Amino acid sequence: MGFGLLAPALTIMVLMLLLPVMALVMLSFWSQSGFDIDRSFTLENYWKLIEPSDEPTVWFGIPFYLKYPIPVILMIKSLVMSLVATIAVIGLAYPMAYFVAFRVRGNKAFWIILLTIPFWTSYLLRVFSWKIVLGFNGAINSGLMYLGLIDAPLEFLLYNPTAVIITLAHSWVAFAVLPIYVSLEKIDRSLLEAAADLGDSRWQRFWRITLPLSAPGTIAASLLVFIPTVGDYVTPTLVGGPGGTMIGSLVQLLFLRQDNAPLGSAVSIAMMLVIAVLVALLLWAIGYRKMRARRS
Amino acid sequence: MWKRLDGLWIYAVAFIAFIYGPVLLMPLFSLNDSTFATFPLAGFTLRHYGEMFQNQSMMAAVLNSLKIAVIVSLLSTALAVPASLALTRYKLPGGGPIVGFMMLPLVIPSIVIAVALLVIILKFLGIQLSLWTVAAGHILICIPFSMTVLMARLEGFDPSLEEASRDLGCSGWTTFWRVTFPLAMPGVISSLLLGFIISFDEFVIAFFLTGTENTLPVYLYSQLRFPNKLPGTLALGTLILCGSAILVIIAEVIRKRGVQSGNPGDI
Amino acid sequence: MQRIKFIDRMAQGKMSRRHMMQSAGAFGVGTLVLPHLANAAEVLTCLEWGGYDAADYFQSYVDKHGAQPNFSIFSGEEEALAKVRAGFAADVMHPCNYSVGRFVSAGLAVPLDTSRLSNWKDIFPILQAAEGVVENGDVVMAPADWGNSSIAYRPDLVDDDFKANPSWSIFYDDKYKGKVSMLDNELAIIIGAMVAGKSYDDVFDMSGDALAAAAKEWGTKAIDNSRFLWTDASELQQAMASGEIVAAYAWNDLIKNLRSDGIPVEYAVPKEGMFTWFCGLTLLNSGKADPALAYDFIDAWLSPETGKVLIEESGYGHANMKSFEISDPAQVEAMGITDPQGMMADTIVFRNPSDEVQTEHNRVWGDLKALKL
Repeated sequence: MGFGLLAPALTIMVLMLLLPVMALVMLSFWSQSGFDIDRSFTLENYWKLIEPSDEPTVWFGIPFYLKYPIPVILMIKSLVMSLVATIAVIGLAYPMAYFVAFRVRGNKAFWIILLTIPFWTSYLLRVFSWKIVLGFNGAINSGLMYLGLIDAPLEFLLYNPTAVIITLAHSWVAFAVLPIYVSLEKIDRSLLEAAADLGDSRWQRFWRITLPLSAPGTIAASLLVFIPTVGDYVTPTLVGGPGGTMIGSLVQLLFLRQDNAPLGSAVSIAMMLVIAVLVALLLWAIGYRKMRARRS
Repeated sequence: MWKRLDGLWIYAVAFIAFIYGPVLLMPLFSLNDSTFATFPLAGFTLRHYGEMFQNQSMMAAVLNSLKIAVIVSLLSTALAVPASLALTRYKLPGGGPIVGFMMLPLVIPSIVIAVALLVIILKFLGIQLSLWTVAAGHILICIPFSMTVLMARLEGFDPSLEEASRDLGCSGWTTFWRVTFPLAMPGVISSLLLGFIISFDEFVIAFFLTGTENTLPVYLYSQLRFPNKLPGTLALGTLILCGSAILVIIAEVIRKRGVQSGNPGDI
Repeated sequence: MQRIKFIDRMAQGKMSRRHMMQSAGAFGVGTLVLPHLANAAEVLTCLEWGGYDAADYFQSYVDKHGAQPNFSIFSGEEEALAKVRAGFAADVMHPCNYSVGRFVSAGLAVPLDTSRLSNWKDIFPILQAAEGVVENGDVVMAPADWGNSSIAYRPDLVDDDFKANPSWSIFYDDKYKGKVSMLDNELAIIIGAMVAGKSYDDVFDMSGDALAAAAKEWGTKAIDNSRFLWTDASELQQAMASGEIVAAYAWNDLIKNLRSDGIPVEYAVPKEGMFTWFCGLTLLNSGKADPALAYDFIDAWLSPETGKVLIEESGYGHANMKSFEISDPAQVEAMGITDPQGMMADTIVFRNPSDEVQTEHNRVWGDLKALKL
């Protein structure tokens, strides 16, 4: 019975994913010469990612003793950016999801859709809108100058990591509100009432009932935001200024411009493994399995 | 007891302002009589709307994207509902790895998925590229999102509700429609919305898997490089914004006129 | 060296037969049902920049065959190349001087028989023989559109020193830190070496230690000093219009667009020289249509009538000398071109290093950017 329900989705995913994943793995053990691919097995691509060197490359004050430190540096940069963006997104989304789940009565679907309407306009247009907000003659600068608070436009608003975080937080916030809302929505209200009857304050009820019970949805939401944003490179390129290169840009570059699909594959696989390990560690650390098993 | 005007209300309003603020600049600058979107405003004009409606390739791209997004959100939800039921209701051997596998499209760079699918479609299957091939690629990347929200909803529901339904003599199908599906409803709606947003915005897979028809992101990426086109695209953003707002309002009005009863806890 | 060409190609938003069919289909007449399957074997398929798919650019083809070709739109040549290499069947592609070599190396380009192009004789001779048009003795691209690369600046916002003696050094000058924008391209390294006194011909294909040294000295500077490294023209023109950027690497059309909005902007003739780039049409071996159709399409692109549209509506040059004779002289001047023949001779026409060196340039530039926070 269970497998029967799972079968359609799983079959489609296996059919569509198996070959791409196999191709990716095989490519990462091959090598490229010009436009041709040399199909003899090699670990060279992976070695290249970790090959040590005596001469350190210093980035952001950290010495990297690697011959080709770029992938490692970009990986760290992308992970940090993505982590900060995820924290911002969850911090913004949770109270809103809570609001819709507990304060709105009746027309919840209306609120949920209201929250997603801005995201029906195209991504590029939204990023462009942020540039107008943060830009030189943009909304913030013009407003502040009109009020006489500043004499010249603030230049630190755009083309730096902060702008990337703001824009990412804005683009992904809908992806976080929905799963959090969904898990808050199913919390049995009688539990809260019982706690209230037993004399728990509002904060106590939140800490002891609402937050733990909504944790699975919140974690799912953080992963939905964190995992894809590690590989995202469009937003950093558009609003990050000259330093907007991320690990995703490197993959893109290796596949399309430098004709080095094997190295690109190795970088992709390394990235996927790093993300998988981090996610597994996180889930293990917070005892996700136990949390899932706990029935509300 | 819930109707309080407190910090949470203020936060909700601020949140709405945060997500709507930037996009509301689109209508503003789409009416501005200048090619460049900077303050101070230059004057009022409707000419950008004329440009937009004359731009047939843009309008065709919008409709293509709409079609794909609707199909993708429906199909990926339809596939994800039984799959997430299976994974949350039954103790399947290998459930963990299966979930992990289904989340793979989140981690694989989209350029890899796109090129690999293109090779499969053209060289192995010999299928002509069309909007359908784009939809297929989009379903693949939407399933993880659909699965996540649906599993978040279905996880931990009291199975006794379904058992009760069966004990009362309902068939498995009736139980699904009468009990399980209504319970899953908030998840289903979220999954539909997420699928729509993702497909509507996706560029890389759409570029590689489309033949001679464009989706909106493919079109916009090729046009944002033409500065003179910018106000026209802002006009388009405005149109989408207004169109969807009107749709939602109509739906809400219909809903209010219809069922007045309804369980306040449910969508 | 412009990864993306931008043109206001369909400023008038012209409606064509294909577009009408497209929108008819879009309203539910079944575009989803593999519409081109029936005639896929005969219809010409062109891989084209978004915007160049308007009938004005190949009117004589439409007149002769009664219909437009099919278009697959791209916004960057790398993606287009990857799509063709993965098996997408296109007959004609529109690369540029710096990217056509990759199509040739990948074994996708078919040499052109110029005797089948009636407009070939009127192409600027310098373009007929340029690197990128001719590769290994074969004509692999029919040059069509071209333009300049130089420094656009706001005369109200830069110093008089620069105005009196314009130089590419503005991109490496700390005085303009955060106020200039370089193209996101390894050219930033090469131009730096030219500022240091080398000639373009000496440095366009430098590699190894010379490249690494120039990258460290000049590339880093250009990255640090640029407010952003631009990749799309909307972003750049927006920033120049607002005054955020006072000088930028730019093509002719920026001047035209900003001036038509009443914004003061000048196009410098830097002492190290200004550049000329060009793009054109290449016949691909993946096509399924009759090559005669492809030749008709390419020939239509080379016609003076197409050139007139290109010049007057976009602010780009055209490879056919006669185009300039029939175009509105005021529009030609708005591009900053008064004497196309002479100008072509005075500027530096971009050259292509070998594939290996090109890849090295890409990699060095990519690594340099990656190290910037």
